This record gives sequence, structure tokens and C-alpha cells, in this order.
Amino acid sequence: MAESNVKIGSETVASAEKGKMTLFRDDRQEDWGAILVAIVVIAIIVAMKM
Amino acid sequence: MNAESERGFMQKLLSAVPGLALIVVTLVALRLWVEPWMATSVVFGQKGWLVNSLHLNYILLGIIAGMLYRNVIFGGKLPAIFADGFRLSRLLIKTGIILLGSLYTVQAIVKLGAMAIFLIGGFVVLSIVMVLWLSRIFAMERSMTAVLANACGICGVSAAVATAPAVEAKAAHVAYAIATILGFGIATMFISPFIGHALGLTDLQYGAWIGTGILNSGQVLAAALAFNPKVAPGTAVSVGEIWNIMRVISIPFAVFAVTVWYWAGESKREGAAQQKTLGTLLIEKFPVFVLGFLVMVLLTSMGAFGDVGIKGGPPASETIKTLRLWMTWIFGFGLVGLGGYIDFKELAQAGGAPLKVGLIVGVTKYVLALAVVLLIKDYLVEI
Repeated sequence: MAESNVKIGSETVASAEKGKMTLFRDDRQEDWGAILVAIVVIAIIVAMKM
Repeated sequence: MNAESERGFMQKLLSAVPGLALIVVTLVALRLWVEPWMATSVVFGQKGWLVNSLHLNYILLGIIAGMLYRNVIFGGKLPAIFADGFRLSRLLIKTGIILLGSLYTVQAIVKLGAMAIFLIGGFVVLSIVMVLWLSRIFAMERSMTAVLANACGICGVSAAVATAPAVEAKAAHVAYAIATILGFGIATMFISPFIGHALGLTDLQYGAWIGTGILNSGQVLAAALAFNPKVAPGTAVSVGEIWNIMRVISIPFAVFAVTVWYWAGESKREGAAQQKTLGTLLIEKFPVFVLGFLVMVLLTSMGAFGDVGIKGGPPASETIKTLRLWMTWIFGFGLVGLGGYIDFKELAQAGGAPLKVGLIVGVTKYVLALAVVLLIKDYLVEI
């Protein structure tokens, strides 16, 4: 298992910016982002149904 | 600071537009044209064979399309123009899970609570103990063992990444653990719907099985929607995800337990003082999006969106119906993106002792979870 030959995995691994599966700095920021998007989605749907 | 981190977030969002557009176009084509065509096309003399026998639907096709983009069409790497769009896929999956809170009420979760905690907790502990035990037989490094234990025990990738800094794991350890569980998870994601249909499992039984037996959150979601694409109370996705969320919540506790185990063996070293308290880990590692899900459950229970449409009760309100329709699209977009991050070359990294241990534990958990669910099928709590 030669470490030098190993590419970082495909999901969020903090040390590999280019291999990250997120636009966010870390998982915590992505979580807040998801909460924000969910609020926007709910607001749009509620407004549509009013 | 490199050029990547210097880019502003708004700039990153703008650069995500082409990738998102590709994801949207792909899903729209699959859902509006390919799936209806499959339902009516004649293969081997049977109308709708692709749907009825292969159980192909837009969710599975979306993941396959994402995999084809990366590994075949773009030759193993997403082009820079599309990469940022695909990087939003986990955000979309998390958003969908938050909205999924509208399928549950507080009463239903309390009803499910004891059984879910018992079963999920049991399987988390069993998986971690098995990895620790097998690591001795296969002479694995302690930090590799710790990362793999939580990867197999809780929630795949998130758990591996959360555990790594607490046990001084090298990037290679995280990569091996992720490659192993993603490889195994992809296989389970595609075969579970077939097994579920072959055994005639109900949505309740199937959801409980995959929510317990599949290692990764995204794959639980994909396997559930592949079995039954409908999003409503009592469907496979509503059962599977509530069990999965119980498991995700246990991340800080499992990180703490495995960290204690790791540092107990390293106590003679100077770095022993690095061990963190459970309180610190809860603050640092608790998956905050779960709070969004819980608030959604609370709002739904209070009737903020109208009737939920639980079996035997009044039909779902228009707001809830629209919310569920949007959820299917949001999950679909997220899963096309997830497919785009399945890299065959990265999966080939898995090997040696971590692969053997990961496969033994993964298969044991997957089969045992099915056996337990079949054994207690009359006692499973319907939500």
C-alpha cells in the first residue's frame, strides 16, 4: 500500500481540494447550505400554493 | 493559499451552472422520455420488460448516466467546466433529506424510536467490534482499523472522514476505507432492489433492511428509490431514510468510542493528549443538516403544511404533494451527480487487508440485516 501512489477518495476529503465532492469548505458548511436551500424550496412552494 | 481556495463562493456557484445544467438535462431526458419509452417498449417479446424484469427506473438510470459521464464519455475525469456543478450533488441529497422530514410526525418517530435505536445501535456496535477483531487477524494498522471501523459501522464516507483526524489516519487510510465501502455499496445499491422484489419484501421490510444493511447514506437513498421511486409516508425511501438518519446521528458517539480505543493503544506515546472529549466531538462532528430534518418533522407535526396523507387519514395537502414531487427531482439531480463521482480508477485502489476486512464486515451486515428484518417482520413499526 504505497501511499505516494494513492489518490484521495471521491467524496469530501478535506486535504484534497480538487478531489472534494462539494463546493463548500467542509461538511458543516455544506449542511448549512442544504438547510438554506431547503428553506428557499419550502418558501417557493408555500408561496405558489397561497 | 491556492487558486482554488481563493475563488469566492459566488464565483464557485456561477461556475457550477454548466455542470448543474448537464445534470438537469440528463434527468429530464431520463424521466420524461427514456423511462416512459422503457415502460412501453417490447424486449424479448415482452412489453415493458426493462421496467418489469430489470426494475430499471430514472433513479438507477440517473446514477448509471453519471457513472458513464465520468468513466466513459469524459475518460475518467469530469471536465473542469462541469466539475463544480457535480460538486453540488451532496448538497442536493442533504436538501432532499431535510425536506423528507415532511413524511413523518413526531409521534411516528417516537413510535419507531426504541426499535430503531435497538437495531441500528446493535448493527453499528457489531460492525465496529467485527472490524476491530478482524484487524488483529489481518494485522492492520490501528489508525487504518479505526477509520474502517466507523466507515463500516455508521455512514461510510462521512464517518471515515470524521474519524481520520481523531486517530491520526493518513490520507491513504481514508482513501482505502472509502474505496472499499463505496465499491461494496455500489454493488448493494444495484442488487438490493432485485433481491427485494424477488423476496416479495414490502416497502417497510425493504426500507428497514437497506437502512440498516447498506453502508453509505447516498446509496441507501438510491437503493430505496430504485425499489420504489414514490416519495410518501410508508414507502421504501421514508422507512430507509429514517433508519439511516438514526445511524448518521450516532457519528460523533462512534467517533468518540473508536478514538478512545485508538488512543488506549497509543497511550505510551506523547500524542495521547490529543484525544478529544465527547462534548468537543459532538460540537465538531454532529451533522447539522439532521437538525433541519428534525425541524421539518416538527413543522409537519404542527400541521404547518397541511395534512400529511398518512394511511387511513385525510389525503395529503397540495403543499405536501408538491413538496414530495420536488423532492423526487432534487434526489434525482443529487443521484446523477453522485454517479458522476463514482470513479472506477479510485475503486481499484481498494485492496489488501482493508478490502478483505471491509467486505467480510459489509457482507455480514448486509445479510444479517436482511435475516433480522425477515425474522421480526411482524413487529416492524409502520410509520
